[in-house]
This record gives sequence, structure tokens and C-alpha cells, in this order.
Amino acid sequence: MNSSKIAVALSASLFLVSAFAQDKGGPSDPQIAGIVVTANAIDIDAGKLAKSHTKNKEVSKFAQLMITDHTAVNKQAGALAKKLGVKPEDSPTSQSLKTGAAENTKNLKGLKGAGFDKAYVDHEVAYHQQVLDAIDKVLIPSAKNAELKNLIVKVRPAIAAHLDHAKMIQSSLAKK
Amino acid sequence: MLRAALVAICLAVFPAAAVAAGNTHAVRIEGMKFIPERLEVAAGDIVVWTNKDFLPHSVTAREARVESGDLAPDKSWRFTARKKGEMRYICRLHPVMKGVLVVK
Repeated sequence: MNSSKIAVALSASLFLVSAFAQDKGGPSDPQIAGIVVTANAIDIDAGKLAKSHTKNKEVSKFAQLMITDHTAVNKQAGALAKKLGVKPEDSPTSQSLKTGAAENTKNLKGLKGAGFDKAYVDHEVAYHQQVLDAIDKVLIPSAKNAELKNLIVKVRPAIAAHLDHAKMIQSSLAKK
Repeated sequence: MLRAALVAICLAVFPAAAVAAGNTHAVRIEGMKFIPERLEVAAGDIVVWTNKDFLPHSVTAREARVESGDLAPDKSWRFTARKKGEMRYICRLHPVMKGVLVVK
């Protein structure tokens, strides 16, 4: 990761942490549902962008996995929200996620070839780490409804596996 | 009574059949893990992997040419362990998920 990329990743991470702090007393259940849906949708979009840009087989497979897995998570989240009668709501956190995603998309669209692959995978590592931190520090402790909390607990291992998987590809790209 | 007699006759005539039908072992795939991660079985035993996650998974050992194909949630895959030795496998979709099948 070069210094400008580190700066982008760091500022995105700090932005997210401060946005979480703005959700005073932690986000409400409808806001948590909104954060879950937004976080998944962002990674599905990033995956679609990567699939259409990359020529690297490993990166393309990972991008497809992100589309498949995060679509499955959102299907579960949507079904649960419907069952509980919870309407996902926006919050400073979901807004900052969207702002970060727009910046990432803009950055990625300006890149090609190995530069694109590296930037996409680096961002996937940083993004899944951020989401994992949010799950542990904000979403699980704040969720009031037991089923909503359970869903997030159930999703956590998938996010952790995606993070390790992205790190694996990151180090394999570094060797090329 | 008649059934018991038939079974007794079959076992007497085909004792090998009773031995060859090995034990069945279950491996649960849950929370992005193979549970148990390491399983020891006897040659001829059957192993059934069941996906209890909400995402698809696979049981893949490239060297041993073992491939379950994609297992959708709640789907199972049966495998008869014939070749003795240690078979390390992964989920092809999530290669950070690892398991070991030891056939004795």
C-alpha cells in the first residue's frame, strides 16, 4: 500500500469511528438495520465494479464471492427486518459509509490493471476490518432486539473470513 | 421374527457385507468452520458434511481430487473414505476454511 492509499484508508477509518461516536448512546435497531443493509450493498457494488474491471482470476473470483455472500446477508437482514416490522433507517454511520464508498468508487474508476487490483483488494482489507470493528464495538453492543443481535453474531464469522481471504490475496498480489 | 431370521441368515452367508458398511460420521459446516476440524475415521467409513451456514460452501481437496461441488445452505454431501492417510481440505469458495480427514 503506498502512502496516499494508506492516507485514504486511514481517513476513511477515522471518519467511520467518529461517525459511530455521533450515534449517541449507540444506534437504534432501525439504524442498525440500515447500517447492515448499507454496508452489504456497498461491498456488492464494489464487487460488481471489480468484476467488470479486473483481468486477474483470483481477484475476479473474490469479487464474485463478495457479491454472492453479501447478497445472502442482505436477504437474511431484509427478511428479518420484515418479520420484526423494522424499517431500516439512515444514520451518521450509514451516511459516512456511503460517502466512503463514493470516494472508493471514484478512486477505483481511475485505475487499471495491477494498480486497480491492488487498490480494490487493499480497500477490501481495510473495509472488512472497519466493518468487523463496527460489529464488535457498536452493532452487537447496541442491538436491542435479540433476533437482530443474533443475525449480526451469525454474520460476524463471514466478515472475519472475508478479511482473512482478502489479506491472503493482498499478499499473493504483492509477490507478483 | 421372520425378518430377524432373514438378517441372521444374510449375516451368516455374507459376513463381509456387514463389515463393509462402515460407520457414518457427521461434519457440520457452521460459522465458517468445519466442525470437527479434524476427524479420524476407518477406511470404508462414510462422512457426511452438512452446511448449516447461510452461505454456500464446498469440501475440496485438490490433490486427492475430492470435490463436493457447491453446497447450498442445509445441503449435505456424503463421501466414502477409502484411501488411507491424511486428507487436508478447504472450502473452495472461502479458502481460509480448513479441515483434515484422517483415514486409518
